[in-house]
Amino acid sequence: MDFNYSDLQRMLLDSAERFITEHFTLEHRRSLRDSANGLDEVAWATFAELGWLALAIPEDLGGLGGTQADIAVLAAATGGKCVSQPVISTAVLGTHILSGATAPRTELLEQIVGGAARIALVHGEPGERYAGAAPRAVTLTADGDGFAISGQKLLALDAPSATHLIVSAMLEGEGFALVLVEADSAGMSVENYPLLDGSRAADIRFETLRVHGDAVLATGKKAEALLMEALDRATLARLAQSVGSMEEILRICSAYLKERQQFGQPIGKFQALQHIMADMFVVTHQARSALYQALAHAELSAAERSRALSLAAITIGEAGQLVSRQGIQLHGGYGVTDEYEISHHYRYLLTLEKISGDLDYHMSRVGQA
Amino acid sequence: MDFQFDDNLVEFRQMVREAVKQDLPADIREGQRRFGGNQSDPHDSLTWTKILAKRGWSVPHWPVEYGGQNWSPMQLFVFQDELTRAFAPDTCWGGTHMCGPVIYTFGSEAQKERFLPAIINGDFYWAQGFSEPGNGSDLANLRTSATRKGDVYVVNGQKIWTSCAWMAEWGFFLVRTDPTVKPQRGISFLLINMKSPGITVRRIPQINGEAELCEVFLDNVEVPVENMVGEEGAGWTYAKFLLDHERTTSSFIYFNKRDLRIAQDIAANQMLDGVPLSKHPRFQGRLAQLEAEVTALEWSVLRVLANEQFQYNETAAASVLKVAGSRLQQTISELHLDLLGAQSIRQFPFEVHDRPNSPLWPDVTENANQRALIQRASTIYGGTMQVQKNIIAKLAFDL
Ligand SMILES: Cc1cc2nc3c(=O)[nH]c(=O)nc-3n(C[C@H](O)[C@H](O)[C@H](O)COP(=O)(O)OP(=O)(O)OC[C@H]3O[C@@H](n4cnc5c(N)ncnc54)[C@H](O)[C@@H]3O)c2cc1C
Repeated sequence: MDFNYSDLQRMLLDSAERFITEHFTLEHRRSLRDSANGLDEVAWATFAELGWLALAIPEDLGGLGGTQADIAVLAAATGGKCVSQPVISTAVLGTHILSGATAPRTELLEQIVGGAARIALVHGEPGERYAGAAPRAVTLTADGDGFAISGQKLLALDAPSATHLIVSAMLEGEGFALVLVEADSAGMSVENYPLLDGSRAADIRFETLRVHGDAVLATGKKAEALLMEALDRATLARLAQSVGSMEEILRICSAYLKERQQFGQPIGKFQALQHIMADMFVVTHQARSALYQALAHAELSAAERSRALSLAAITIGEAGQLVSRQGIQLHGGYGVTDEYEISHHYRYLLTLEKISGDLDYHMSRVGQA
Repeated sequence: MDFQFDDNLVEFRQMVREAVKQDLPADIREGQRRFGGNQSDPHDSLTWTKILAKRGWSVPHWPVEYGGQNWSPMQLFVFQDELTRAFAPDTCWGGTHMCGPVIYTFGSEAQKERFLPAIINGDFYWAQGFSEPGNGSDLANLRTSATRKGDVYVVNGQKIWTSCAWMAEWGFFLVRTDPTVKPQRGISFLLINMKSPGITVRRIPQINGEAELCEVFLDNVEVPVENMVGEEGAGWTYAKFLLDHERTTSSFIYFNKRDLRIAQDIAANQMLDGVPLSKHPRFQGRLAQLEAEVTALEWSVLRVLANEQFQYNETAAASVLKVAGSRLQQTISELHLDLLGAQSIRQFPFEVHDRPNSPLWPDVTENANQRALIQRASTIYGGTMQVQKNIIAKLAFDL
């Protein structure tokens, strides 16, 4: 075992931290709220330049063939500055499905690598908590020489800035199907909205959207397995973002405890606060360990992989809440303003936790496995 | 010992419930139900105060000679419980529960005549100007100065976290009138018209999308000497009186009861595998646990209201309610989000009238996260969690 970063990971991390710290200042992130779809085009072009968008794509398909550990290193760096750009949807989830499709989509992957295309998964539906592998109400039906998609989807993360959507649907006789759709296709009505971390999502209603036969990326058991793999990879990357955010909270709070004075001394002199800080440190440390444990199982069988991932999600979800809640508490009134970093980390961690399946979801996954 | 409520309370509750049903306008009730802050829309507060005043109910807890109702502590409890339950807005607490009692207890006749009727009728909003950027927990060291020059005090300094200062017409301020004595002895209690020249207010954007909190800058603000309440240098005593006056408020008991009902309601309506969450053991357990805590808190409040002779210091007993009640406000709102799962993270605009009509999203998703976010403040304002625990350790156990 070796828990130290490889040379490649070091390089990745250094360039990531440099760019992210410089670019994603608090003021800049707050200003992105006014943009139409939340996308930071300048940053996106830089992500492409730095090779981040190619990281998860296999080498034979024109990518860098990075491991999930490489992705985690990068994701943790983005988490440190609450980056809510659609990187995971595109460069983890989207690339995995496009690379693993029955006929890999090399052309689209190339566009992703160059920064021209972005992908969103359109999977969740009304009336369910977390979709997982449950059958969909949205259907794909044969229609002439192609297919038609119809039905209602809910909470498609990062769809507002995506150029392409991957839609999950049920195909009669086949079960699951994953279908690639251009985001500006006619035949859908879309409601876009922001989430608490500044990212965007959409509810999409397909009113019999017609697609070509070659739009189908995979069907049946293969589609289901590919989807579950992609979702687990995305969750793992989000857990890494959470860990990055928590570690940054430790830095922010320990600095604040030294700087803020009350009763004629730095508040960090109060033992009550020292102990809170120590508790935050303990669970953050545990969170990173949990992440490594999940990474260790990330390429094993679906059952082993998912169980390990859910164990990590439980530890990291709880740690994230403790760390960000106490982070606000340590800041007093300043903690609940939009003008200090800490409240942004709180919302970021809350969003990540709720996106990736909440504690109940992961506990039942562990319990059933 | 006698654990029974007085017989008349059931009737009293019914009477209040009927009255609120008649009086509370539907739009104000809806506004409160969908509100994303931890109190109420301040304009609705004033409107509702006026409505309550028609029955003589806007300050029932005041002495009768100043407009109160002579209700027992238990009746006052039931009254507030019913109002909150029905989603009535708060009155402007700064007026009705904070500076009002200070004015009728320590103020001049002229101040009573001028301000008490305005508070009773909800004529305008009051801001509480205590905290400063450098002095929150350590309030006694506040620096905003008031220097006497003839008929006026000239006030200079800065306040922060002044709720609703952007729309308040008057504020009650703690200012330093004597920098040479022990910090607590040099503080005075001053009523300041918020429209005075030299006052600048900046609204602070908050974690929940609201901007209710303000910074107040005071630059050579001239305040007539007759606006000082009581004696110069006694302001700290009045502030303590004001904070001690409402021993049970900080339990947030009415809100905790109401918010628990909201949680039960969400659990009954959110489905998992075709079954409501209220039937899933994990959520069932959490609901039961919170119900147990809210129930115990209610009885802790009743013990104070029934005037139990405490073995421990009374201020420490109030801190017990604050520690338990503020933490509960947070855990209940956290449960709201957990019950909603991924649906809890959509950000709706703070203003109700700006929110889009999205039929796929249950009403409760509009403000559940806004309220949960601002609930982080309930262990901060009015004395932080750590300060409350310090008080308990010191006053209850002499540690
Ligand atoms: C929503 C909201 C509304 C408010 N409304 C008003 C208002 O209308 N008017 C008004 O005047 N004020 C108001 N306040 C201010 C509030 O009273 C202060 O925020 C509070 O007193 C804490 O002060 P602070 O924010 O400066 O935090 P600090 O005092 O700087 O506290 C920072 C951290 O240090 C800890 N700490 C401080 N001293 C000690 C100690 N001795 N031992 C251990 N830990 C300690 C605190 O617990 C906290 O964790 C409001 C605050 C909020 C959040």
